[in-house]
Amino acid sequence: MQNKIILKADNIVKYFYQPDKFQVLKGVGFEVKRGEFVALVGKSGSGKSTLLYVLSTLDTDYEGDLTFNDTLLSNKKQNELAAFRNEHIGFVFQFHYLLPEFSALENVMIPALKLNKKSKEEIEASAFDNLKLLGLGDQALKKANKLSGGQQQRVAIARALINKPSIIMGDEPTGNLDSKNSQVVFDIFREISKERGQTIITVTHDDDFANNCDRIIEMMDGKIQNK
Amino acid sequence: MASYINYRISQIHLTSNIRQTIVAMLGVIFGISMYVFMTGFMTGVNNAQNDLAFSSLAHVRVYNDRPADNTNIVSKVFPSTVVNLRHPKIIKYTDGIKNSNVILDALKSQKDITGVTTQVNINVFFKNAGNKINGSVSGVDVVNENKVFNTSKYITEGNWNELKQRSDGIFVSVDLANNLSLKVSDNLNIFTSDGISKNYKVIGLFKTDVASIDKSKAYININAARQLIGANQSYVSDIQINIKDYNKTKNIINQITSIIPYKTESWQMANQQLAAGSSLRDIIAIAVSLVILLVAGFGIYNIMNMTINQKIREIAILKAMGFSGPDVTQIFLTQAIVIGIIGGFIGLGFGYLTANLVNKIPFELAGMSTLPMAYTLKDYILAFMFGLVTTFIAGYIPARKASKIDPVTILRG
Ligand SMILES: Nc1ncnc2c1ncn2[C@@H]1O[C@H](COP(=O)(O)OP(=O)(O)OP(=O)(O)O)[C@@H](O)[C@H]1O
Ligand SMILES: [Mg+2]
Repeated sequence: MQNKIILKADNIVKYFYQPDKFQVLKGVGFEVKRGEFVALVGKSGSGKSTLLYVLSTLDTDYEGDLTFNDTLLSNKKQNELAAFRNEHIGFVFQFHYLLPEFSALENVMIPALKLNKKSKEEIEASAFDNLKLLGLGDQALKKANKLSGGQQQRVAIARALINKPSIIMGDEPTGNLDSKNSQVVFDIFREISKERGQTIITVTHDDDFANNCDRIIEMMDGKIQNK
Repeated sequence: MASYINYRISQIHLTSNIRQTIVAMLGVIFGISMYVFMTGFMTGVNNAQNDLAFSSLAHVRVYNDRPADNTNIVSKVFPSTVVNLRHPKIIKYTDGIKNSNVILDALKSQKDITGVTTQVNINVFFKNAGNKINGSVSGVDVVNENKVFNTSKYITEGNWNELKQRSDGIFVSVDLANNLSLKVSDNLNIFTSDGISKNYKVIGLFKTDVASIDKSKAYININAARQLIGANQSYVSDIQINIKDYNKTKNIINQITSIIPYKTESWQMANQQLAAGSSLRDIIAIAVSLVILLVAGFGIYNIMNMTINQKIREIAILKAMGFSGPDVTQIFLTQAIVIGIIGGFIGLGFGYLTANLVNKIPFELAGMSTLPMAYTLKDYILAFMFGLVTTFIAGYIPARKASKIDPVTILRG
């Protein structure tokens, strides 16, 4: 069970055409097992974010195959992919993107309300639990735009966890956090991958963070650096 | 398909920037209230105009038309012949409607007819002492005349029904009476084109506010009129018919021309400038209102576009979290429709108030005391529908644009 492959990228190639034709991803291929905690590292501009958008199905403009649990994602339609993301993928972006006019609690609830598998009360309760887990129990009813950067980042993480997605993807999720909160986030990621078997793929520039993960994938000039 | 969270997001968007929402709504309110007011006003003007016209005009008139031009019969048989006819004598044609009873019976079976009256109209000179004025006397069926033309409404002195008993009585229009220096119970001499002269007693005055009528018309009993020209008991010159909806004269004319051997003429045919004026006012009202609605539509379109540009990152994040294109369309279209519905209802109320207010502005002309106004449920419903369609289109275009936003480009920053 633990060794089952959940996500498989096979020879992913992507070009940017603006301003000039430029190959960002030059045949990226790797496999991630269920419950694995993977750090994606590499120099700035090496293509980490670009790869993450492809893996998350947000970006469909690439060549190569992306497989999730033996299902090929590469040829699915936009609307199918949207439903897929809602259920199976949690996101934490480099910049904390919350809906500013919603409370922290409502922000966390949104993906679950969209999934529409539980009652509003259940969703509210588990959203509140998630916020408490990230030390934000007392900020739950504050509007998102009234929170500090680090608090917003943690709300975004709580939101990424709400649907208990199979994979959580992060683009420098601790980039805006102090060392104490970085540690909190790391511990949560560590725990959910170990206890709940959720897979984590996260870009990070933090060497300590990376070194404590199960595996490090290093990007270099659009390719994976084999160690 | 419709989901709670989409509505919730629409709601937050609408309420978080309430000023923007109100500005968008004001556009709709203005558009719809103007629509309601303009159409109400124009319909009011048309109604007032028609009321005025229908004081002397029936919806359909049946009369004996003069025969076609037969002065050159030869050319009808030999078209290429050059003919020189001098002083042609025309055989006297039959005047008026002889067998009026048969026709009246036939008309009774038509169900859309609300009133029928018969008239004997005669061109005469009114004479009082030295004064001589050209005009017309209408011999009328007193009761039915009132049903069709509401004549008693225009009586300023005297009692209309008195004309029933008084074969020597005459109702004279006010200006005509003035010009002849006549008062009630004075005598008035009438002189026909056949040279017959007869005296009548003025038993009342009337005023229609149609100047040409007020200067030249008088009413006498229909039997008195027959006597005056020596016609028999069933002779009439005109049969005047009113129907339920005066716009539907075409139908009734089609039905009765087949059973009546005389000319049938609708009020539209007789008064083309009146019908044209009516239609033109309607067109102006609708054109102006639609332009205003269009402008309101542009307002909504702009504001929706602005909202979407402001919220472009939110849209991207929603898509990243699994909201589909149709979800995004729904979120923004809902906002436009809510603005349309609320703005629409307020617009109807505001339009009604404006109409009411304008309806109170004094306007003393042609028998009116204030500016005319009509309150037609159909126009209110139509205004609301137009408003809704406009906001739907104005909201749909930006909403669709929003649904097509590529989240990656936005999120990459
Ligand atoms: N929209 C774009 N159009 C053209 N080139 C782009 C675009 N986005 C990124 N690039 C280029 O692609 C390369 C990879 O960018 P990417 O954002 O994936 O780097 P990264 O590894 O995430 O860097 P960082 O650590 O700074 O976030 C860079 O050279 C960048 O300039
Ligand atoms: Mg990056």
